[in-house]
Amino acid sequence: MSTVQIINFTPVSDILPIQRRDFPLADPTLANPLNAVALVDGEWMTLNSSYQAIRASDVTSTSAYASLRCFPLFAERGRYDVQAMSLHKTPLLYRGDYEFDTRIFALASTQGGAAISTILQPLTVGTFTIGSRNYVGLIGHDGTSTNLKPIVGYVTKLPTTNGGQLRFISGWRS
Amino acid sequence: MSAVPARVLNELFTQKLGSSEGKEKMAEYGGSYIRDRLREVAYSRKILPPEQVTRSDCQRSVNHDTLVKIVDVEPQSRALTISFRGQPTANFIRGPKAEIGFFTISSQIFQKTEQELLAYEMPITKIIEENSVKDIQEVEDREFTVNIEAAVQALQAQANGGGSGHALDASSLQAGTVVEFSVRKGELARNATTNDATIRPIQRPDLVNLFKLLDGNRLRSERLLMTEVDWDDILQWTVEDFGDRLQSETAVDGFKYNTLMGRAYIRTVKTDILRAGNVYVFTKPEFFGKFYVLNNTKFYIDKIANVITFQAWEDIGMAIINIASVRKLELYSADANPATNAESLLTDFIPVTEDSLGTPNNQVDQGLTFPYIVQY
Repeated sequence: MSTVQIINFTPVSDILPIQRRDFPLADPTLANPLNAVALVDGEWMTLNSSYQAIRASDVTSTSAYASLRCFPLFAERGRYDVQAMSLHKTPLLYRGDYEFDTRIFALASTQGGAAISTILQPLTVGTFTIGSRNYVGLIGHDGTSTNLKPIVGYVTKLPTTNGGQLRFISGWRS
Repeated sequence: MSAVPARVLNELFTQKLGSSEGKEKMAEYGGSYIRDRLREVAYSRKILPPEQVTRSDCQRSVNHDTLVKIVDVEPQSRALTISFRGQPTANFIRGPKAEIGFFTISSQIFQKTEQELLAYEMPITKIIEENSVKDIQEVEDREFTVNIEAAVQALQAQANGGGSGHALDASSLQAGTVVEFSVRKGELARNATTNDATIRPIQRPDLVNLFKLLDGNRLRSERLLMTEVDWDDILQWTVEDFGDRLQSETAVDGFKYNTLMGRAYIRTVKTDILRAGNVYVFTKPEFFGKFYVLNNTKFYIDKIANVITFQAWEDIGMAIINIASVRKLELYSADANPATNAESLLTDFIPVTEDSLGTPNNQVDQGLTFPYIVQY
C-alpha cells in the first residue's frame, strides 16, 4: 500500500511542454486542507458541463472508477494560491505527455481489471482507500479491448524499485 | 496609413522591445484604430490602495510552496466602572490574525507569427500589451467584487438567523420576514409590486439609508462605489434634492464635485463586473481589508523562429478582513442572496464569469458595419 505524504506527485520529465491549465473547483470546499476529503496532488480530476474540475470518480465509494477523460491534479493539498482565488482554480495537467512519480495509487486494486504488477501495464483511475480516507488515483487496467475503462497512462517503474512511488507515463485510450 | 507601423512592429519585436525609439514610434501610430470599449484602471485599487510587499513580509508553508501574509487585527478592550474596593475584570490579551494568500493574475499567452503581423497597420501587439494591464486589473476588480459581495451576504445571513439567511426581495420586505442589516433595498425597489431585475433609479434617501447601515455600527461610511448607469440616475435628481444652484450646474456640466453627500465616490464603466443596481459603501481601508502586491505586472516576450509570444502577469493578495465595513444598496426588487436566489435572477446581479469578461461590443466580424462594403 502506498503512503500519502506532503508531496505526492512529482515530475520526472520536463513540465514546460505540458499544458497546465487552471480550472475552478465545482466544490470549492475541496481546496480547504481541513476537509476530510481535501484534494491532494496526484489525484485525478475531470470536467463537468460547467467547465469546472470535479474528481474523476466518486470519492465516497471504493467501487467507483473513472469513465471519462481525466487529468492529474498538480497542486498540493491546501495551497494558498488556490484558496485565495474566488474561483478556487486548481491546476491540472491538461494536454501533453509527461512522466511523473505518484503516491496516489492502489497496487492491489483489481476494479480496473488487474492489479498493478508489470512494467508498461496500462493504468486507469478509480477510488481507493489509503490510510483512513479515500483518494481518486491510479489503479491497474488489464489492457483488454473489452475493458472500456479509460487508460490514462502506463507503468514505467514499479513502487518496489522506486522508493514506494509509482512512476508512469501519460497515454490515453478510451 | 502606410506600412510603416507594421515595419515598426517587426523591428520592435525582433529586438524584443529593446529600443525606446521603437516604443515612441509605436505610440505615434497608436490612435488609428477603432476602440471596442472603454478600459479603466481598477476601482478596487481606489477603495483598497495596494501595498507593495516583499518575500520577507510573507510566511511560507511547510506543506507547499505558496505564500501568505498574516495581518493583525485590532485586539478588543473596554473600560468599566468599579467601586473603591473592587477590581476590574481581566482581559488576557489576544488579537485576531488573518491570513492573506497570494495568487497570480495573468493575461492570456498571445502568439502571432512575424509574417502575419505584416497584415496589420495598427500596432496590434503594443495595443494588446497595454490593454493587458487593464485586463489584469479587471480581474482584480472581479475578485474584489466577489469578495465584498460574500462579505455583505455573510453578515446579512447572520442577521437573519444564520445558515443561508432569507431571501431579500420586495415581497419578503413587505411581509416583514427579512431584516436588512448589511444589504438594503432602494425605496422604489422595496415598494415594487413584483420581484424583478428592473433597476430602479437611485433616490437621495437610498444613499442616506445606505450610509446609516455603516454609520450606525461605530464605523463611518467613506467611499461609495457605483456604476455609471446608476450614477446617471443621480443626474435626474430634482431641485428638491440638489437645490437650485446645483440643479442648474448639473444641468450644464453634470455633477462635478468630488464628494456626494460628504462621501467620496467611485464610478465604473465595468457593468459586467459591478452590475448596475448594486451600490456599495465602504469605510476607510484601515477598517476594511488589505490589497498586497507581491510582484508588479511583469511582461514576458519571446520570439522562437517566426512565432512571437508574449504574456503579462502580476502576483497579488487581497482580502476583506472586517466584513462589517462594507454595506450594499440594491436598486432592484428581486433577491440577490446566492443561497436563496428566490427569483432565479442571480446572474443578473453578480459579476459575469471570468471567461465572459471582455466580450466585444463591436460586431465587425459578423459583417455588422454600416454601410457594409464588400471587396472583390
